Amino acid sequence: MKRSASILRILFGLLIFAAAGELCARIDDFIAYGAPLWGSYNTDRLYERDQIGQRGRPGARYKKWQLNSMGYRGPELRSGTIRIVCFGSSETFGLYEANDEEFPRQLERDLNARSGKEVFQVVNVAYPGETVATSILRVPEIVESIHPRFAFIYASPANYIWLPWIRPSMSGGSPEKRYDMFDLRVADRTRTALKSILPEHVQTWLRQRDVDSVAADYNVMDRVPDENVSRYRSDLATLVNSLRSRGVEPILVTHASPFGEHPAKPDYQLLTSWRKFYPMLANEGFIDMEQRMNDAMRSLAASEHIQLVDAAREIPPSRDNFADFCHFTTLGAGLMASRLADEFTARNDVRVPAKVGGPANSREAGITAAWHPMCQAVFRVTRRRSSSL
Amino acid sequence: MSTESFYYAFVVSLTLLLACVVRSVRARQIIYLFASYILYATWGMPFLGLLILSSLVNYTLGMWLRRHLSVACLWVGVVFNLAILATFKYLPCVAILAFGRSSFGTWMARIALPVGLSFWTFQALSYLFDIYREEELDPSLVEFCLYMAFWPTVLSGPICRLGNLLPQFRQQFTPRREDFSVGFDRMFLGLLLMALAEMMGAGIRSGQGIDAAFASTATKWSGADVWCLAIGYGFQLFFNFAGYCHIVIGAARLFGIRLDENFSRPYLSTTPSIFWTRWHMSLSFWIRDYLFFPLATVRREKWWRNLALVFSMVTFGLWHRGAVLFAIWGLYHGILLVLHRKWQQLQRWSGFSWPQYVAIPVSWAVTFAAISFGWIFFRANDLRQSFAMVAAVFSFPSYGQHLLPPRLYALIALLAVGYFILIALSPLRRDRSEGICAGLPLEFKCALYGVMFYLAVLHNAEPQQFIYFQF
Repeated sequence: MKRSASILRILFGLLIFAAAGELCARIDDFIAYGAPLWGSYNTDRLYERDQIGQRGRPGARYKKWQLNSMGYRGPELRSGTIRIVCFGSSETFGLYEANDEEFPRQLERDLNARSGKEVFQVVNVAYPGETVATSILRVPEIVESIHPRFAFIYASPANYIWLPWIRPSMSGGSPEKRYDMFDLRVADRTRTALKSILPEHVQTWLRQRDVDSVAADYNVMDRVPDENVSRYRSDLATLVNSLRSRGVEPILVTHASPFGEHPAKPDYQLLTSWRKFYPMLANEGFIDMEQRMNDAMRSLAASEHIQLVDAAREIPPSRDNFADFCHFTTLGAGLMASRLADEFTARNDVRVPAKVGGPANSREAGITAAWHPMCQAVFRVTRRRSSSL
Repeated sequence: MSTESFYYAFVVSLTLLLACVVRSVRARQIIYLFASYILYATWGMPFLGLLILSSLVNYTLGMWLRRHLSVACLWVGVVFNLAILATFKYLPCVAILAFGRSSFGTWMARIALPVGLSFWTFQALSYLFDIYREEELDPSLVEFCLYMAFWPTVLSGPICRLGNLLPQFRQQFTPRREDFSVGFDRMFLGLLLMALAEMMGAGIRSGQGIDAAFASTATKWSGADVWCLAIGYGFQLFFNFAGYCHIVIGAARLFGIRLDENFSRPYLSTTPSIFWTRWHMSLSFWIRDYLFFPLATVRREKWWRNLALVFSMVTFGLWHRGAVLFAIWGLYHGILLVLHRKWQQLQRWSGFSWPQYVAIPVSWAVTFAAISFGWIFFRANDLRQSFAMVAAVFSFPSYGQHLLPPRLYALIALLAVGYFILIALSPLRRDRSEGICAGLPLEFKCALYGVMFYLAVLHNAEPQQFIYFQF
């Protein structure tokens, strides 16, 4: 009896310990981000669903991730600017970079610094997990609301590893996720703390164990089938055509990774952590996939005369530039932005007049229709097609 | 938190389990030594090699000194230890100053500083000095190696004396509830203090802390800003180092070993002399016992004693790093101590004394301000920055403005005032020496541990990968 009482007391003590931690996490979130004390606080706050699927919730904020009133990560649209949109997935949306340091933000600062005036606005229209197929469906609304002049396409090839996951066409969005009141915030923090202290080989072992248990449900592939690569290429071509037909000039960007173009000895730990999301593909298949998908993009750029930035070859595959298997660090995002800006300014002659004009708010209907030619006239943005492409 | 924390938690838990099982004192010493070497090796195998080499040489020198008690033997030991210290700690700094960015200078600057070198070298020196003073020290090789490499203290002290540790290494280990309770209390308190120090450095919002303020060299701070930074850094350093010492002392206490305290309410000191008996006590007592006293007794004149004091404090400063700013910081404290002596002499000569209710607050305020002012030299990135900050302190018109974020002012004020309130309340508790949680009900203790654990470990653990987990 006495023993069970002391066990109960210890359990009660542990419960108090956890409750105190949870309370601290909630107060911490409240002070740092203005998060609600009661209720859940997770990434679901950032998204809503429409008939295409998941999109950003206008004005939503979750920790460092702040969406504007159109539901895109970054500041509100400014008038009198040349707009450039960035399509992509989580690499473009930004994950590990410090606040306002994701590559579209850095690209905007870089371009404006080079032009000497705040004439460019880069709009980050990417969402984590977004495929090229979904981007195609989003093009009409993006062009209509943002009126971009250029579009960088930094597509994630990994989304094409398993075709059943690619949304083929318009389909009704799934019901909104329910906010769980008893979502333990301290659990996420504990997991992150554990990740920072557990030795990498222990984490890899745990991941490999997870992968092995899930991989049993799939017929594990050594390499991505050609059909997937073709689908990636055809979706890219459709996106490019869709943009061009609406007067937006696409710029393709090959996918960079910490493995480099020709890795001597692939990082097993990084590959395993990548494979955790795609257990149906063997570790070696990821590097092969990157190479073949990037080749497909290069051949598309050459055949369709699309401007191409070969980030896969130009971003050094260093752990300083990549926080994991594909996402940038602040440093890597800066390098990416710098390379995009180099390529952009090298091929597009941007001359900035002393006086800048433009509509007060491009979202206002009527003004926007007349704005494109005006913008071109004012800034004299002349695109030089490269014969090499 | 780093991967090293995991290794420490794992190896220490395992060692504790083994220590509870093993009955033989010698076997337990070997287990402690093995664990200490494993943990030290996580910082680099070459460092471990140097530590073992130093231990073996110093042990041999100690035996030689016991047989042939002479100054010459002692000097051999002193030169050996100072040579190690000079090679790894001071040569790279001197090389940069002397040869700049030349290939030789760059090559020398690349010499890595072994972790805890200054601490265990001073421990080795104290062992040799104590033998020379004919103290009864007869450690076995394992005991001496353990003294040098003892995992709680090897990284950043406190600097121990063999005379204190040796009897404890030799006693039987019986796990006691009181040791565990106090040990965990102190470890949690240490984690909390270190978390507070980190918060002061980083700021409540990123880039608004003390570190960012010192990093922005172009900003022209006002006098109020400089005082805020100096006082804030003083508390940041105190929370950080005292927090670390709490963890170390608590961790050793789990094994039934009581280490000497390293801090004793330094910011309540009412004179600079008292401050130096309460701040980094293990080093300050080392300097007093093995440098100042021998030096001061060479001549009887007062000027010589004052010079010895200044020299000791400059050495104290340079012990931290071979940099001009640390020498200036030591010099500043040396002069402060001499001025305090002169003031005491003046008081005695004139027979003047203030009433206690005036003297204590005024002495405290002057001492606190003087100590805080000194932190400018300790923390500034370079001479230019330190001089600019000192100039701002004496630029009285600048006091009307401030450039630091109000949040930083608020944070520093909150933590400083909170510290003094806690200190003021602590005499009300009977058993304050046994940890802050001693005597509290288990439920309250658990809640306090939960808060401390959150602040120390989870506060900075921001989930990053979660977005990708969804897809």
